[in-house]
Amino acid sequence: MRGTFGRAFQQEEEQVMLRVSRRNFIAGGAAFLSLSTTGAGGGTSFAADTRLRLLWWGSQARADRTNKVSQLFQTKNAGTTVNGEFLGWTDYWPRLATQVAGRNAPDIIQMDYRYIVEYAQRGALAPLESYMPAKLQIDDFDKTQIDGGSVNGHFYGVSLGANAATTVLNVSAFEQAGVPLPTQATTWEEFARMGAEITKAGKRKGMYGIADGSVVEPLLENWLRQRGKALYTAEGKIAFDHNDASEWFEMWSKFRQAGACVPPDVQALDKNDIETNTVSLARSAAAFAHSNQFVGYQAINKDKLGLTNHPRIAADSKGGHYRKPSMFFSVSAQSKAIDQAVAYINFFIKDPEAALVLGVERGIPESAATREVIASKLDAQGKVALDYVTGLGDLAGALPPPPPAGAGEAELALRNVAEQVGFGQLSAADGGKLLAEEISRIVSRG
Amino acid sequence: MTDTPMTSVTAPPPPVSGRNPMASVLIHAALIAASIAMIYPLLWMVSASIRPEDEIFSSTSLLPSSVDFSSYIRGWFGLDISFGRFFWNSLVVSVLTVTGNVMACSLAAYAFARLRFKGRNFWFAIMLGTLMIPYHVTLIPQYVLFLNLGWVDTYLPLVVPKFLASDAFFIFLMVQFFRGIPRELDEAAMMDGCSPWRIYWKIMLPLSLPVLATAAIFSFIWTWDDFFGPLIYLNDMNNYTIQLGLRTFVDSSSTSDWGGLFAMSTLSLVPVFFFFLFFQRLLIEGIATTGMKR
Amino acid sequence: MNTATHASAADIAVERHQSVRARGRLARLWASNAPGYLFLLPWLLGFFGLTLGPALVSLYLSFTDFDLIRAPQWTGAANYVRIATADPKFAAAMQVTLTYVVLSVPFKLTFALLVAIALNRGVKGLTFYRAIFYLPSLLGGSVAIAVLWRQLFAGDGLVNAALSQFGIEGPSWISHPNYSIYTLVALSVWQFGSPMIIFLAGLRQIPTDMYEAASLDGASKFRQFYKITLPLLTPVIFFNAVVQTIDAFKAFTPAFIISGGTGGPINSTLFYTLYLYQEAFGNFRMGYASALAWILVVIIAIFTAFSFLTSRYWVHYDD
Repeated sequence: MRGTFGRAFQQEEEQVMLRVSRRNFIAGGAAFLSLSTTGAGGGTSFAADTRLRLLWWGSQARADRTNKVSQLFQTKNAGTTVNGEFLGWTDYWPRLATQVAGRNAPDIIQMDYRYIVEYAQRGALAPLESYMPAKLQIDDFDKTQIDGGSVNGHFYGVSLGANAATTVLNVSAFEQAGVPLPTQATTWEEFARMGAEITKAGKRKGMYGIADGSVVEPLLENWLRQRGKALYTAEGKIAFDHNDASEWFEMWSKFRQAGACVPPDVQALDKNDIETNTVSLARSAAAFAHSNQFVGYQAINKDKLGLTNHPRIAADSKGGHYRKPSMFFSVSAQSKAIDQAVAYINFFIKDPEAALVLGVERGIPESAATREVIASKLDAQGKVALDYVTGLGDLAGALPPPPPAGAGEAELALRNVAEQVGFGQLSAADGGKLLAEEISRIVSRG
Repeated sequence: MTDTPMTSVTAPPPPVSGRNPMASVLIHAALIAASIAMIYPLLWMVSASIRPEDEIFSSTSLLPSSVDFSSYIRGWFGLDISFGRFFWNSLVVSVLTVTGNVMACSLAAYAFARLRFKGRNFWFAIMLGTLMIPYHVTLIPQYVLFLNLGWVDTYLPLVVPKFLASDAFFIFLMVQFFRGIPRELDEAAMMDGCSPWRIYWKIMLPLSLPVLATAAIFSFIWTWDDFFGPLIYLNDMNNYTIQLGLRTFVDSSSTSDWGGLFAMSTLSLVPVFFFFLFFQRLLIEGIATTGMKR
Repeated sequence: MNTATHASAADIAVERHQSVRARGRLARLWASNAPGYLFLLPWLLGFFGLTLGPALVSLYLSFTDFDLIRAPQWTGAANYVRIATADPKFAAAMQVTLTYVVLSVPFKLTFALLVAIALNRGVKGLTFYRAIFYLPSLLGGSVAIAVLWRQLFAGDGLVNAALSQFGIEGPSWISHPNYSIYTLVALSVWQFGSPMIIFLAGLRQIPTDMYEAASLDGASKFRQFYKITLPLLTPVIFFNAVVQTIDAFKAFTPAFIISGGTGGPINSTLFYTLYLYQEAFGNFRMGYASALAWILVVIIAIFTAFSFLTSRYWVHYDD
């Protein structure tokens, strides 16, 4: 059966990419290629049996759950087979990009909030609004979560669960240092004082109070939202100015001097993944992450960990959190079986049996009915995550619009500028100017 | 294995160890010290594979606080497909690659090193040029090409190019070694009416065992370690190679099975290590031991 | 025109008839060129069938705006102009890569050569040492390397523990913008197995009777090395130098795993191909990445051509 899909897809109507490359291959003397493209056609028919290809990133645990749901779906939908493939986050994106570019994209694509705009506005994803509400029953989703999967007025991504930015705490390290845990009311100032105390207590060799959050984009976003700003406007422009950014860097410079946070060369060990986070490396007692990663953090940490919200900028601040779609299912625009793909997605988010299998592994389900089904069956760490996200209360606000194309590059720019300030190559004020400049440039280039 | 009498006779200068016991001790001390630096990562990996997961990243000690071999079982059986399957797949791809590289590259190298034909320098330069293009930018056109051939999700994109001498590194390597073989040998053979094929087969290849072994070792190890090619071309987990299998243990965004990763990484080194041990014996044979007169 | 055709021209002059002459020429042309092309046939097939097409496509894409999904838009030389005039990251990446090339290649080769010579002699347990010394190269770009290098070169790592014995308090080498590139150089030198094996193979190819004759003449070991080993090894040294330089220019994996793909801190490990990868797959600018790639090809080609030009003065071939 190998290559069936390749052959089937290549019969698609004249595809620009293929045409372009074909022309070049011929120019290069590889005329046989064009022969093989017309020759390899063959009569693969989809009529009798539909095969859906499904690609996601994640761990084996996620794969076990997903494959079980696919099995369930197949028993209830004879004639449709679901072939799942999965990869780790880092490897997922180059493979997806290659398959999409080669016009061999999987039918169902797991999509991230950061990349949905990139793929949707380039026409790689199929708009799904016409399937609502009959075939895609997401009427009990939060309106904002549906908006989160929408780009330019079309609906491209069905949220598979929500998470929220969070502060991970090494509870044992706090207790050892005799510092009380931060609460929902803790302000940045208080939090920094706690950090400095932990550092000074010096109970653990090489451990500081908190991570240097100046490089952490969701943390900056949270802080900006508390000031009534945001990272990006709905039009995809920068939504803060250099004064905000300078103040942000200024705050962290103070924390650094006070010994509240780790030095820049320790922070730079963090590669924005779980295992290099300063909490995982036992270099800080608090750091910044996402709620659905809690299981992963606890697995590689000896100490008891806990979750709390990001600190407030002032005691009366409303907090800058929001429930974010942790991932979507999207349908490829190249798919020959969009109907079946939508049916699968609907089953995935709606079916109670499926919900029990999936739990909160992909985040807290959007559908209230589904949440009820699973609430009683969660394990301890799933409960911590669920309690955290549902317990944010008034700390959580509206979902910001999906980040514009170029957001990934902008995140790297924040990291870069924050490090320059951290290592003392730039002043906080200059860093603020540079960051605002860079991000404006990046998102305008798209 | 220690040196056989034959090779120690033919090894260039007489063995140091035989002459001066003091020097021998010093040399071994230095070599052992260096060996420790070299072997440290392996020790660390083995230790990471048997220690509790929650101390892999936070502890810098080599000794685990407790020993537990369960990650080997979990790693081998924990994925949908048993790890044995990945070993087999990697073995198939690697052996085919070794065969293809050694055969096809030695043919081309012989042409470049010994035969005179119009355009030789031109093609040689082009061949070297193919070594210089970063693969990231040819990846997508190549993917489209293989997709059109219906080769995606098979081993063909990984293996067929090797039989067409796509790896210029090995051609260039063999050219350099072929040029070191005394020309009188093939000139004499030519006088006797030997065809180029016979010269290649009967003189060049037998005299080039060290470089052929080198090419075989590298082909095998690099294919075994290759990750990006399989990532792009293999979709079905049944076809996964070891490196792809290993990567499925790690998802930087959620949970990872680090114990399983390091356990299987350790096991994955075993076949390459033995392949290396076996083929490097060929390194000590070759022209130096044939007593060929220049 | 090579010597073979000169010779045939002389022969042909004897021939009277034009047709015979032409046929003779063709036959000789065939006879002198066919074997070469026949041996080259697999490579030629592969080149025209598999390599050339994708290379030309990427060359074409370098003149377009191509986001991987929509059709490429022809933009002329815009990508190249931008690289030359408005891309500070290009300069940063180039500088990092050049530093890496200049430092890692000589150190790695010297180290590999010295070890190869040490392991070529009749030391007891030679194969064992060789295998051990090759171990780091077996690990390739595995995730283990990333963790391990952090354990060695982080602030609380082994290197600083050793330095503290001498009262030196080192920084976190691997994550400090001033030093991180050197930890990658160290990684490259530590994985010296491949050139070592190639040197070993080269050493084995040197006929032993030359040493015997030199010993009889009373030449010292050093002199033997200088007069016999080194000259006869030059083709292999040349090979290693060229190939390692090309590899170092194209190095990707070390920076990718050590920096987690960011090239940080502060672009200090932003290898050229890592930048190219970020542009192609992170920022959906395959056209721009292709332009970056072709600039790299030209730079490497210049280096390589230069090496080949100088090689005639120091590389000793038997032919």
